[in-house]
Amino acid sequence: MFAIFQWLQGTEIATALRESAYMYPIVMALHLTGMAIFGGLILMTDLRLLGIVLRGATISEVVGQFRIWKRVGLALVAGCGILLAWAKAEQYYGNPYFWLKMTFLLLVGVHALVFRRSVYRNTAKLDNLKVMPSQVKWAAGFSLCLWIGLVSAGRLIGYYEPKP
Amino acid sequence: MLAYDPSTNPLNNNDWAFPLLEIIHILGFAFSIGTIAIVDLRLLGLALPRQSPAQLLRDTAPWTLIGLAVMLMSGPLIFSSDPNMYLYNSAFRFKMGALLTAIVYNYTIHRKIAMADSSSGMGKLVGGVSLLLWISIVFAGLFIAFV
Repeated sequence: MFAIFQWLQGTEIATALRESAYMYPIVMALHLTGMAIFGGLILMTDLRLLGIVLRGATISEVVGQFRIWKRVGLALVAGCGILLAWAKAEQYYGNPYFWLKMTFLLLVGVHALVFRRSVYRNTAKLDNLKVMPSQVKWAAGFSLCLWIGLVSAGRLIGYYEPKP
Repeated sequence: MLAYDPSTNPLNNNDWAFPLLEIIHILGFAFSIGTIAIVDLRLLGLALPRQSPAQLLRDTAPWTLIGLAVMLMSGPLIFSSDPNMYLYNSAFRFKMGALLTAIVYNYTIHRKIAMADSSSGMGKLVGGVSLLLWISIVFAGLFIAFV
């Protein structure tokens, strides 16, 4: 595994990105920009599921119309994130916060699978309900916690110093 | 320049204080800029066509304000960790100018056009400018560490 990370960091693209004065921060800034836009959409979707905001819009409208923008945001965040990790793969391998972040990412995937049928692909049914089933609220609450955890772990990657 | 010694600042004497502050700062801007971006996407005609921009603005405004407040409290604290470095940093100076512009813009022109439910070219222009302004602030913030 470490050998793969070492090889990744040694590739030409990784070296070019890591050593470029502008490309590295630009990719990082795009990662953050994606995060801001993506974060707002996730927050608003979750708060809509909790019945706190956008009550004039149906759940179908909010989930359905934000979906494409969430995908754009995710593509930007993940694309830039992969480049950033690729450039410093060898250091990241030994960084516990990187693995913490990947764990959160995995849990986000699990969350999507678990709640897909009952919430995110079930919005037409939810639109007709007066009271949201508890699993909808759990889906929203977990989503907020997971994304906040993921962002926090991501920031901490930059602060980890390996013990000599 | 300032009769202040940053080494006495608790932020510089605790391993966790600074990173935690940065995390709070990032979450603050994700909430504020993200919610503003939703109104901008609507003004640009790219999302939630059945909701009016005015309605979206009213729904997102409290969250934008909370995010802004978090950002404006954590930001100056981060600044206090090394004021001289920030004051002479070109990215920081640009960021402060753009931030002031963006906040004034958000609560004047942006608000006026969104409340007027303009989906015309004017709405698109105002939404596009708003997005670009806020994105430039994120970029400038990150570049503080790289210039």
